[in-house]
Amino acid sequence: MKKKGLALLMSLLFVSSALLSACGDKGAEKPSGGTEGAASNEPFEITIRHTQVGESKKFRLALLNDVVSKTEEAVPGLKIKLDAVDSEVNRKEKLRGEMAAGKPPEVFDVFGSPDAGVYSKEGLMLDLTPILEELGIKDKFTTLDPFTHEGKIYGLPIGGSIEGIFYNKDYFAQKGLTVPKTLAQLEQIAEAIKADGKIPFAQSSKDAWIPLMTTNNLWSYYAGAEVTYGFKTGETKWTDPKVVEGVKKHQEWVEKGYFKKGELGFEYADMRNQIISGEAMMMMDGSWANSVFRDPAQAGDMVGKIGYFNLPPVNEGDPVIVMQDANNGYGFSASVAEDPRKLQAVKEFIKNMWTDEMQLRGLKEDGVLPAMKMDLATMNSTSDDPLMQDIFKGVSEIKYSFPAFDALVQADVNTALSMGIQQVIGGELDAEKMLENVQAAQEAANAAEE
Amino acid sequence: MNKALRNPLIYIVFVLPAFILFLAFFIYPIFTAFDNSFTSWNGISKDVKYIGLDNYVTAINDDAFWKAVKNNVYFILFSCLIQVPIIVIFSLLIANVKRLKGLYKTAVFAPSIMSTAVIGILWGFIYNPDFGLMNEILGLVGVEPIYWLSDRKWAMIAILITNGWQWTGFYIVMVLAAILSIPKELDEAAAMDGATGVQRATKITLPLIMPIISVVIMLSIAGAMKAADIILVMTKGGPAGSTDVMATYMIRYAITSFKHGFGNSIAVLIFLFTIIVTVLYQVLIARRNERIEY
Repeated sequence: MKKKGLALLMSLLFVSSALLSACGDKGAEKPSGGTEGAASNEPFEITIRHTQVGESKKFRLALLNDVVSKTEEAVPGLKIKLDAVDSEVNRKEKLRGEMAAGKPPEVFDVFGSPDAGVYSKEGLMLDLTPILEELGIKDKFTTLDPFTHEGKIYGLPIGGSIEGIFYNKDYFAQKGLTVPKTLAQLEQIAEAIKADGKIPFAQSSKDAWIPLMTTNNLWSYYAGAEVTYGFKTGETKWTDPKVVEGVKKHQEWVEKGYFKKGELGFEYADMRNQIISGEAMMMMDGSWANSVFRDPAQAGDMVGKIGYFNLPPVNEGDPVIVMQDANNGYGFSASVAEDPRKLQAVKEFIKNMWTDEMQLRGLKEDGVLPAMKMDLATMNSTSDDPLMQDIFKGVSEIKYSFPAFDALVQADVNTALSMGIQQVIGGELDAEKMLENVQAAQEAANAAEE
Repeated sequence: MNKALRNPLIYIVFVLPAFILFLAFFIYPIFTAFDNSFTSWNGISKDVKYIGLDNYVTAINDDAFWKAVKNNVYFILFSCLIQVPIIVIFSLLIANVKRLKGLYKTAVFAPSIMSTAVIGILWGFIYNPDFGLMNEILGLVGVEPIYWLSDRKWAMIAILITNGWQWTGFYIVMVLAAILSIPKELDEAAAMDGATGVQRATKITLPLIMPIISVVIMLSIAGAMKAADIILVMTKGGPAGSTDVMATYMIRYAITSFKHGFGNSIAVLIFLFTIIVTVLYQVLIARRNERIEY
């Protein structure tokens, strides 16, 4: 009987201890170190969640490692733990789960819009405004709009980008084609390429954001760079005639056969392959694509043969309006504010990461445009690659820029637009009907926010 | 020791860890999903607002949701009306081959152990409009190139074929095991009585393997209702939502837009629809095939 009781007791003890250890708060075991002041040398740790995973991001990882070393040297007792996670996994699963639990890492890779907006609204992200003012870099960024929520800055972009047209320079030279100054001239070039049996524009539309780069730039030319800002406030409508005209132009290009048939089934990489293989002669893409065309392993013989120009305006001499954005960067946990030593570490990280030197290094090694303001001469001096020089020229020509539409409209509107552009490309809907649907989604999203 | 084992408390103590895990990872999530489905929760906020049945009303009034449901129904119909007969025919054929039976079994089973991502890429090549095997074969008989994954008319069929290819072998092995477990005497007796191969297959083997076919249909229905990965890999629900099923609809319209309350209501609807379909199948069809007497 005694043995039985002992067995029962031991079993209960085992189960309860297993449960208690599982429920234990790991964080509670550690001394916070926060109350001892910034001057203490006692070791403490912060985690940086980054997405520099794989061969293509090795330069960016090296840059991050250098910043980490500098930061550790500057802050006594600091140990930075690097946590590498795939970008999509971090964005859609890991960071969201941590945010839901209220425990994001101290520093984390984050997209400005809509992600940082949602997290900061819940008080989960550190307000960087006073830190940027203290460091004197608040006004040094090209744009902080995607990371700004109710006038406060919650994140910093790591790099910037513009959208424009990559083209086959050799082909243009052979056929006597020149960089167009108007949309009509661009269409003439497209007709000439089509008549030659080639595809004018490489495009993959399996992911709707890819064709929407073209649509976004077109409607901004027709309706103005500011038009997209007004959809959320109700000042402008998707059904405004000028917006319709812009989307109709895209529809017209599809109907004229300027894109390869079956584009709705092609992956992003396919459109780059269309350019590299010489099947297509032009391609609307973000400036980040330069890394592909400068890499012999990816572009082969095409290295040095690809140029870049901005989508030209409707009329010659009109201002150049181009999407210029900086939506990906780092955010910081609001909990950092409770610990002076961690706050000091974060300040030091920002001080070391967002410098002219690091931005130029990103540009030189990785082809990522600076997120911080920089004059053309400085950029030119960084890279003598002809494609980069074309992109720098593109940047210098921009009169008005705007962020990508998805930074300015609600996620539901983005979904409706994505669905709509695929329907237009597939010939299911025309531009007017598509935009009526988008406007309906916009009104529903605006009403839900009131 | 025997006395100890007679004490129900001992059993409770040993069952408790597994039971707690079952509660934590199965029962609790189901209840939270039900609970969240009545909220406008964004997946992050501590401030959760209850909105009654609004999420369900939104889903039910959305044409895109019913399109997704229709695609789930296509999955079920394809599985039951096309895939299951193919499974039975191939199982009967493989069961009766004299040589290389192991090779056939391994060959048909191989796709089911491949990851869906690999299958998506593999079939992406097969469906490629320029150089894909499918169009090459059809081209031999004069068929114009088909844009399998870009054309809304063909995209769903392309996915159903791929999904069928992936899982047919798995079910063939299950059915084959049932066929091989039938006592040989039955078949031999029928053969001696003059029954042909087709007669033996349809009058003896088929009725005896009905319980396992019933299980295959049940698993196919459950698989069809929760299908998502193959669609995400092959078309991402496109073109223009034409291949969305309920699970990909949930991702497109809810999860990516920080609408976890709405997402949970779709998850609950998938759960309820699956229960309804499987219960109906059990009650109306499967129960008749449960008992086999040799």
